[in-house]
Amino acid sequence: MKKTGLLLAAAVLGLSALSTGANAADCEIKIGGIAPLSAPGTVVGGEAMRDAMLIAEEDINRAGGILKCDLKVVIADSEGLPEKAVAIMEKLITQDGVVAVGGGYHSSVGVASKDVADSRGIPVVFAETWNDTITGDKQKYIFRIAPLSSWASSTIWKHALELPVKKVAILTENTDYGIPAAEETTKGLNSGNIEVVTFSVDIGTQDYAGIVERIKAGNPDMIIVLATGEAGYNFTQQAADAGIGPQDIIFHAGQVSLESKAYWENVPDGNYAFVQRIGVPENLFNDKAKAFAKVYKERTGKDAVESYAMEAYDSIAILAQAINEAGSTDGDKIVAALENIDHDGTLGRIYFPYGTKKDPSADSKGDEWWHQWPDPALTVIQYQEEGQSSVNSPIVFPDAYKTGDPVIVKK
Amino acid sequence: METPGIFWGVISWMIVWAVLGSIITRRSYLKRDLDTSNATFVGAMMGAAAGPVGLVPLWMRTPELTKLLIVLPAIGAVTLIAAAFAFADPSNNCVSNGSFVASQITNGIIIGIIYGFMALGLTLIFSILGVVSFAHGEFYMVGGMLVYYITVVWFPGVSPLIGVLGSCSIAFLVGAVFERMFLTPMYKGKIDRPVEYGILVTFGLAFTIQYFVQALAGANPVKARRFFDFPRLRLPSADDAWLLKTSRGNLTLFDTISISNPRFVAAVVCILVLLSLLYFLHRTWTGKALRAVSLDREAAAIAGINPDRMNMLAFALGGMIAALAGSLLVQAFSWLPQVGNIPAMRSFVIVVLGGLGSLPGAFFGGIIVGLVEAAGTGCIPNPQKAASYIPAYGMVVLTLTLLLRPTGLFGRRFASGTHGKF
Repeated sequence: MKKTGLLLAAAVLGLSALSTGANAADCEIKIGGIAPLSAPGTVVGGEAMRDAMLIAEEDINRAGGILKCDLKVVIADSEGLPEKAVAIMEKLITQDGVVAVGGGYHSSVGVASKDVADSRGIPVVFAETWNDTITGDKQKYIFRIAPLSSWASSTIWKHALELPVKKVAILTENTDYGIPAAEETTKGLNSGNIEVVTFSVDIGTQDYAGIVERIKAGNPDMIIVLATGEAGYNFTQQAADAGIGPQDIIFHAGQVSLESKAYWENVPDGNYAFVQRIGVPENLFNDKAKAFAKVYKERTGKDAVESYAMEAYDSIAILAQAINEAGSTDGDKIVAALENIDHDGTLGRIYFPYGTKKDPSADSKGDEWWHQWPDPALTVIQYQEEGQSSVNSPIVFPDAYKTGDPVIVKK
Repeated sequence: METPGIFWGVISWMIVWAVLGSIITRRSYLKRDLDTSNATFVGAMMGAAAGPVGLVPLWMRTPELTKLLIVLPAIGAVTLIAAAFAFADPSNNCVSNGSFVASQITNGIIIGIIYGFMALGLTLIFSILGVVSFAHGEFYMVGGMLVYYITVVWFPGVSPLIGVLGSCSIAFLVGAVFERMFLTPMYKGKIDRPVEYGILVTFGLAFTIQYFVQALAGANPVKARRFFDFPRLRLPSADDAWLLKTSRGNLTLFDTISISNPRFVAAVVCILVLLSLLYFLHRTWTGKALRAVSLDREAAAIAGINPDRMNMLAFALGGMIAALAGSLLVQAFSWLPQVGNIPAMRSFVIVVLGGLGSLPGAFFGGIIVGLVEAAGTGCIPNPQKAASYIPAYGMVVLTLTLLLRPTGLFGRRFASGTHGKF
């Protein structure tokens, strides 16, 4: 009997020793994580973001959690659709009880869901939604660490201005990301006397034969794709089949092309495509980014870390830090903490210079800089070998990050 | 468009006379107790094509509405629209660039053949079972997904032919089992509201297949490699290949028309299978039995045909046809569990446009939708709008057709006992 009692006591001690690594089990703080995990959303991007946000959850809990409680990231599938975005934001807040929300890939999702979060006083840090109006509406609870659409577009057109280009065809999607991005790119290209023709398509369009022929008849020197998801793959390969692909003319493929494995499977003739990338190259990663990249690659089996995965990771980590600094899950206190935050993230030092303390107009900036991180690095890479990983591809623009010269295909 | 006034002026003129023609022509035929089934259509087309010059003799003489009288005014109306467009926008590619027009027409016909082929499966199921299969898009998706898995994941390097055959066999089997398990009860009197049941149960199948595939395969886009590369050809000679020039993934005809390898392969296979299907339906006992059931289920049963077995065969064949279309297009498009949604919707449009239950209607409806989409994408002056409206083009044609001919282009007058009352 005595022996049994001793064994029981030992077992209890052993269990309690094991449990010291976890935080208080009866308190759990939930943060929502939005990502497109079904079509017509960009599923390759959404899955990368989901994996990154769950790694963030593990890292934060290992480091002590939030307010000594476990963090639970509640993943919600936006499907890349605005109506779905509104529904999941409502669900996250009212049913799941999240205190803040991170993630977000499609601009239309950000535009549609931000009003729900703002009206309910739930802070959101959008990770990869570019549309300027997301922060341009100057809403109290809305923050963003992705680049502004106007700013991201400027990388593309500034790069095009360096190339031997006089006429550009843009393929864009009819969304809150695609339309303004095409307009801003057109404006920039026009400033360099480059003629632009824009074709817009519904998200989910599969057959581009008619558009490809029309683009071909227009005889452009360059094609720019501003379509997300598999639409970018479909168009690029169909253009290649018709003789106006990346191996035939200067071709800037959609950002989804950073997913090297999916890109080469879906666009086998896609060599020499230029692709925009957010964040610094891997050789310039900070310690946090290196640690995240190691876990992410092991977990996903990928040989590279996509920029949106890093943004998703940081969106959760920055909210966790803000809640800890606020000492509360109250929305207003989290916003105050976010406005004063100095976060050491995988993308670099993240902070928000403009908000209630200082209006963007004080520095002659537009409203879109409200609660906007001003420093994401924007680069352009080029695939220069078939099957190449986007991480190993040379950065060809801008000069500050350049690791190789672009290959300019001849028409 | 340089002078839109010309174009919209002609269109307004055509619309006014088409509306008048459709209303008055039908009344004229009805007054003389004549067949009115084509009167609305012919009146509208005659009014659009020739205005009062064509309509007055039609109203006065009320001739028998032969195929020629149906087709000629329709061609006239289309020609008039094209002419007005050419005058209004002479610099448009569709007017000034012959090779562009040839390419668009070719692309329209090729994709139209594939659309029509897929719709054929849907109409086959409807004509025999009287059920609109809402799982048609999922059979299309499964067809492509299976080819990808067979040729890329499970047996890398295996012949695409095996992949296509395997995919079609599995789809046929799934269709047969599903029909026997869930649709047969409809014909045994076990279901109170069979029409609603048919819709709901095929919807259920669609969701089950879609989410089952997503759970197993994930939602990332996949794609099969080209089934084979074109051999390098230069005709008539290597130096002057004006007739035919091929590269691995493309062929160029007459130095102008460019067709991608996957589309060409898909269209050729669709035509071959369509011919085989026609042979099967018209020349074999089983095919004739299928047609007999579609015409009169009870009479067919009296003649010794087992209608239940024909139902199973029709559903399995219909699903297999959709799967074959998917199998052929997985080398052209990126493939996802949701990839069948838009083609399924388009198939519904084509089937109604061609006439519910009509096999030639489905095929020609597909080609018409393909051509209209190609014309819209290529000719609408504003490039931003041209491509945005792709899904709407088919709907516009469908709406116009249903307004003028509610049975669809090739619909049977007395099908389902409701069409062609007059």
